[in-house]
Amino acid sequence: MLFPTLAFGLFFVVVFLLNWLTRPHPLIWKTVMLGASLFFYGWWNWRFVFLLLWAITSNWMAGSQIAKQLHAGSKQLARNWMRTAIVGDLVLLGVFKYYDFFAVELSNLFGGKTAIPLLELTLPVGISFFTFQAMSYVIDLHRGVIKPMPMLDFAVYLSFFPQLVAGPIVRAAEMAPQIRNQPDPRRVASGEAFHLILRGLFKKVVISSWLASSIVDDVFSNPESHSSQDVLVGVYGYAIQIYADFSGYTDIAIGVALLLGFRFPTNFDRPYSALSLREFWKRWHITLSSWLRDYLYIPLGGNRGRQADTYRNLLLTMILGGLWHGSTWNFVIWGLIHGLALAVERMLPNRQTHPVVRWFITFHIVCFAWVFFRADSLSSALDVFRAIGSSPSSVELTSAFAVLLLAAMLMAQFFPYSKSEDVKQWLSKQRVLTQGLAFGFGLVLIDLFGPEGVAPFIYFQF
Amino acid sequence: MEDKTATEPQMHPDGVGFPAGKVFLSGVAGLILAVAVNSSTLLADAERLPDSRSRSLSVAIWTPIEEVASTLKLTWPRTVGDFLLGRDEDEVLISLQREQIGATPESGKDEWVVLSVEEEASGDELEQTPSVTSGPVWSAENPFTIWVLGDSMVQFFGETFVAMAERSALVAATSEPKLASGLSRPDYFDWPARISAVITAHDPDAVILMFGGNDAQNIKTDDGQWLERFTARWEEEYRKRIALVMDLATGEEGRIVLWVGQPPMRGDGFDSRMRQLNDLYRSEAGKRPGVKYLDLRSLFTDESGNYARYLPNSSGKLTDVRLTDGVHLSHWGGEWLSALLLDEIKKSPELDGLWAE
Repeated sequence: MLFPTLAFGLFFVVVFLLNWLTRPHPLIWKTVMLGASLFFYGWWNWRFVFLLLWAITSNWMAGSQIAKQLHAGSKQLARNWMRTAIVGDLVLLGVFKYYDFFAVELSNLFGGKTAIPLLELTLPVGISFFTFQAMSYVIDLHRGVIKPMPMLDFAVYLSFFPQLVAGPIVRAAEMAPQIRNQPDPRRVASGEAFHLILRGLFKKVVISSWLASSIVDDVFSNPESHSSQDVLVGVYGYAIQIYADFSGYTDIAIGVALLLGFRFPTNFDRPYSALSLREFWKRWHITLSSWLRDYLYIPLGGNRGRQADTYRNLLLTMILGGLWHGSTWNFVIWGLIHGLALAVERMLPNRQTHPVVRWFITFHIVCFAWVFFRADSLSSALDVFRAIGSSPSSVELTSAFAVLLLAAMLMAQFFPYSKSEDVKQWLSKQRVLTQGLAFGFGLVLIDLFGPEGVAPFIYFQF
Repeated sequence: MEDKTATEPQMHPDGVGFPAGKVFLSGVAGLILAVAVNSSTLLADAERLPDSRSRSLSVAIWTPIEEVASTLKLTWPRTVGDFLLGRDEDEVLISLQREQIGATPESGKDEWVVLSVEEEASGDELEQTPSVTSGPVWSAENPFTIWVLGDSMVQFFGETFVAMAERSALVAATSEPKLASGLSRPDYFDWPARISAVITAHDPDAVILMFGGNDAQNIKTDDGQWLERFTARWEEEYRKRIALVMDLATGEEGRIVLWVGQPPMRGDGFDSRMRQLNDLYRSEAGKRPGVKYLDLRSLFTDESGNYARYLPNSSGKLTDVRLTDGVHLSHWGGEWLSALLLDEIKKSPELDGLWAE
């Protein structure tokens, strides 16, 4: 079920009503929310509901054992249970997401003969997100950061539909108290929620879809047949498209959760205003980068050892972060570029470079890496660079509107309080009926300006 | 646009908020407003759905809503918006092109003219590759033009084909996919009209067509009757549509028309339906010397003749040729198909030299 569809609108009207009607009765509420989330997930493929239920059951049971062993003073047993749960989650992820990739590479290593059979499984939507959340739960339990959640609470947490398929990656420490404590039904932050949903829909349906269909898809499907200017604009266009797409999804997810009485963490904070790669990763997909930092980079040793160890840890973390997005060499290269750039930033002496120069370099490293992220294959990515380097020819795809849109989207990253914030403030101060009607009018405008048919969110594939 | 909206640590830091009941009513009011203003679009979308209970239900729901909204003049903002954005241009274009089809000598009477049904061609005839009869001198100013038209399958190989074809400066190729389209539902997209327009405006030297992925559904006749898919009457009607498209594309004698069959599909049911459609395409192509049917099953099946996502390439390396949806071609699959199509075009002796430089 995609957010920008009528089906989701109807689904959410029912869920909103049931949520607030049953909230005073925790057992009924949790059952209803779990049922709604499973229905939402099963809308794509009902078979994968069993996969989600397995992830819930196995991680909750492991979590209970971890807490039990820690309570009994058996740290080693608790660690074993944590490792078992993590291995189980990685096996789940590995079978569905990585098995065929490694099987093919292994086969090609031995002359193209299929050494092990290929599974050719359909990738379950959101598997990368809910397995990472599950892993953070068992690790945090082992670290003593959180207490074990009751079974139903954990099931609601892991399956919670607003963030189930494309994040943000919400940790148990953030969700458990919100599940446990009933929010005030007299004060639903409707103005902020409507604003977030409209803003997210606008970014996705209007900006992201327009950029994809007008420039980006054409450029990346056949870079050699376009002028160097068009290809360059296509690369910048993809940087804005993926930001609009993913941050748009996050806005909708946060807004939807807010209407149900939940507050999710921030996932994007004007990432293209970053003056360094380090800053970029504090602003882009924040819940993933903080996950990688807390559960991978720091356990690997972080920056506590020798310089060489720190560089190794950065590279490993970013390469694995790249692989998290998908099982292709392009994602590995994308991660490698970011890892190398982060390492080089650490290596260079802290000179006083002009902020504009730092921004320019950072933004273009990010765009350079996006080419590998977006291209179908390594050779396609190289075709894009070749096309940029070719002699300028006639411009076909780039319009004045496209350039203005990209410039506006980029410049908006530098204003902490944009017009969007003004809209939120204005909407929040209106009467509730005005808010609702403004919301409806906003939906009409978005549908009007959006193209016919909207592609699935980019991050659904991860 | 900035995103720092969820940084407040508390739910309602400024005390702003409304009771859930009122939020529900206001949200529903907003949705009703949006639905009423957009009701014409929603009804049109419902009518485009494949013939099914879901379509009947959707149309039954949206029809009265649209009628009430239209009566109350609630749909005018959307109508005005569409007009200002030029959204109604497609419909105008299609209606104009229908008239052109009527005037096209090949089609005879009207756009759904019944073409004569002949016996299926022999296997030898199927192997024939259409070729240009005259040999004009192709140049950069007067290139050999190729158009690739079809549904979303074309989206995944069309641009690759264009890039490969245009490696010769003497060739100009265009790819024009229309997602979710086909020959079953001209109410969604009128391919005969579009093909006629392309032929009239551009007079391409070769046309590559690929349809079928969305066509295994019930179809509506001109008199409004729904025909259940794969029944005898459905097949008769669908054959007419294939024939019309083939004849429109062939046009003047000598144009190369390649009809690309559906590749094997991962889902058994879908694959079986595509096989049935392929039989119809093969059969209709066989009746027309100007049309060559290209079977993709051998190209995209493994040693056992089954669907496979990964297949060995010419150097024996396993390559992913299909997307994870089990339907569309991947980048590499698109390259394979494009190479096959170019090889097919090169079979015409007059054209082999086009890519020789």
